[in-house]
Amino acid sequence: MSTALERVMDAIDIETYLVCRDANEGRMLALKLGQELNLGDVDIMFEEFDGYGIRLRLRKYVHKPGSRYEWLNLSSNKNYQQGE
Amino acid sequence: MPKKILCVPLDPVHDVGIKLIKSALDKRGHQTELLSPDLTMEAIVKKAAAGNYDFILVSRTLGYGVAELLARFNDLLDAAGIREKTKIVIGGKPVTPELAAELGFDKGFGANSSTEEVIAYIEEREINDSSSSVQKIKKNLAEPYSYKFFHSEIESLLNSIADKFIDWGKNKTSPGIERVRLREEILHAGDKNIQQALIKKYNDLSDAEIAQGNVKKIYPKGVREVTAEELDSLESFLRSQKSAGQLKIQHSDKHPLIFKFLGSGCPLMDIAHGKVCERWGIDGFLIINPSWEARYEGLLFGNLTHENDGTITSLENIRLIRRSLDPSTLLTVRAHRGLNTPETVLLAGKAGADLTKINLVYGSLGAGTDPIRLGVDGLEAIRLTATYGIPFDIPGNDELSGVPAWKTLAGLLINVMVGVKLNAKPILKPLFCYGPHIVLNSFMEKNFIDYNAAKILALREIVDCPIWPGEPIAFMTQSEERVQSANATSYHASLAASLGVDAITIASTDEAYSRGPIAITSRIDSIRAVTDAFRFVGDAGFKLTPEAEKYKNDLIQKIIEVLRAVDEKDNLPEAIYSGLLGDQNDGAYPGKFGAGTVSNKVR
Repeated sequence: MSTALERVMDAIDIETYLVCRDANEGRMLALKLGQELNLGDVDIMFEEFDGYGIRLRLRKYVHKPGSRYEWLNLSSNKNYQQGE
Repeated sequence: MPKKILCVPLDPVHDVGIKLIKSALDKRGHQTELLSPDLTMEAIVKKAAAGNYDFILVSRTLGYGVAELLARFNDLLDAAGIREKTKIVIGGKPVTPELAAELGFDKGFGANSSTEEVIAYIEEREINDSSSSVQKIKKNLAEPYSYKFFHSEIESLLNSIADKFIDWGKNKTSPGIERVRLREEILHAGDKNIQQALIKKYNDLSDAEIAQGNVKKIYPKGVREVTAEELDSLESFLRSQKSAGQLKIQHSDKHPLIFKFLGSGCPLMDIAHGKVCERWGIDGFLIINPSWEARYEGLLFGNLTHENDGTITSLENIRLIRRSLDPSTLLTVRAHRGLNTPETVLLAGKAGADLTKINLVYGSLGAGTDPIRLGVDGLEAIRLTATYGIPFDIPGNDELSGVPAWKTLAGLLINVMVGVKLNAKPILKPLFCYGPHIVLNSFMEKNFIDYNAAKILALREIVDCPIWPGEPIAFMTQSEERVQSANATSYHASLAASLGVDAITIASTDEAYSRGPIAITSRIDSIRAVTDAFRFVGDAGFKLTPEAEKYKNDLIQKIIEVLRAVDEKDNLPEAIYSGLLGDQNDGAYPGKFGAGTVSNKVR
């Protein structure tokens, strides 16, 4: 069965703004957000605390180079063709 | 047969789109009428009912409450019996086919739709893809250039330096050169037994880690063979997934070609990224190899994938990437790092790559190869570029260690003269960067334009040679912040366009993020940014301040001083060892890989 995650070519980036007291809390919340979204451990690519909250760019790799890419089977697997 | 069409701007402000469509339809011989934008819906419906139209084209930017307004408009058309004989079409920036259907329209066109698509729909025919898509033609970057030197003293110094260097290297050989001979024989050997014997000799001349991979398939950490199933899947993927119309980044024919790096570690991922980037208009790619390859004598054979940075340099990998990319896409393979420089050029040539990358100076200072070894290997590699007719680009990335621009540019010019003397086609690659030496000396305190421009102006005053700033442009001005990174790239790209250079290499918006591979969305980010920048700058340009001229003159004077000092040495490697083209204070150290491996040719 094809999932949307399997179709992610490489990575999911999340850009958001979390209201927080300081940068440390912001970072902690960023990592918690990854868990709450069922993405597991996410990497904080960029962070910028401005006093009110933290501006974030988070990344989760779904397919890293050298791994097996499910999307590569898009055309050779019937289930994928049907988008199931 | 001409159609009767009523054009209805339901938007009091945004009616440019429908005017353009009307004009295109008129040129095709259709009978169109454009209503004024201040009519009530009832008045429009009355007009529509009286006219017996084939199509009603409605233009409206969607916003709050507009869906209800359009639904009411459709209800009025229904009530008047118009919808039975007339197709109702909506166009506007956020319109999608799905949204148009949801709102009760027969068809919808949005921001990404072309006039040709609208006309094709009206004329009830398939869209002619070739007319809306850009046809790309492969460009030879070196072709328009004469390689004529304009500065007599610099030309004379370079002649002397290059002659001495070529003479110094003429009776020398290295394991890298021996292997390139063997590789040629392996590739041409018809008999399997002879081929196996040659491969054995090749592996004997390679380091154990490489020979072990080639013989026993025990590879360095993180490397594995690409399976036959993966290769089959790739073929199917490439057959089934097609570009949704080729885009072009350049707004003018004078704008530079745009290159990106590939080198995720996996040729399959590189190809997937490459195909997507091609669609967005990228003109060429540079394959970057793993840093560990530089340390080993010999290259691995086969289609191999690697979990870490850098795609393995094998004939099969280069061929696979070349074959999978569009024939118009330029491909360059980095050769100057490490102990396999001539062999990499051979493989690039055999696999159909278009360019290769060699810098005899930077390769000895920033990448760890012994200057004598790279000198000997580099001469052979440059000869091979001439044999295979592939230009070589000379990246000035030693500036990133802290080497002053004039030393880097002097190094680039030495490479150019050596290339010219060996009948090769060199390409200058000065950096557009905020390098450490520039920061320390405040050369870019007032702006990022003058000093970058001065490098180009200086080189142009010295030699008629292609110029391709890199590598990538905007180095050390980009952060992990997406918009900032895209902006920095696009500003530097605009400067490059303004200066009329031949090509540029652009980063992705995650280039400054070093903890993981480049992602495809980040690649598209910077392509989009540069496309917009080129549209913005068009055939206009940046105005340099008088500082640029001063910087240019200063660079030329200091290049002359560097070349005079290099010319006092017996040969180029000696000049590199003595720090004339970058010393320890500049953060440049002569490399050690391959030290003591050069020998005299057996006569």
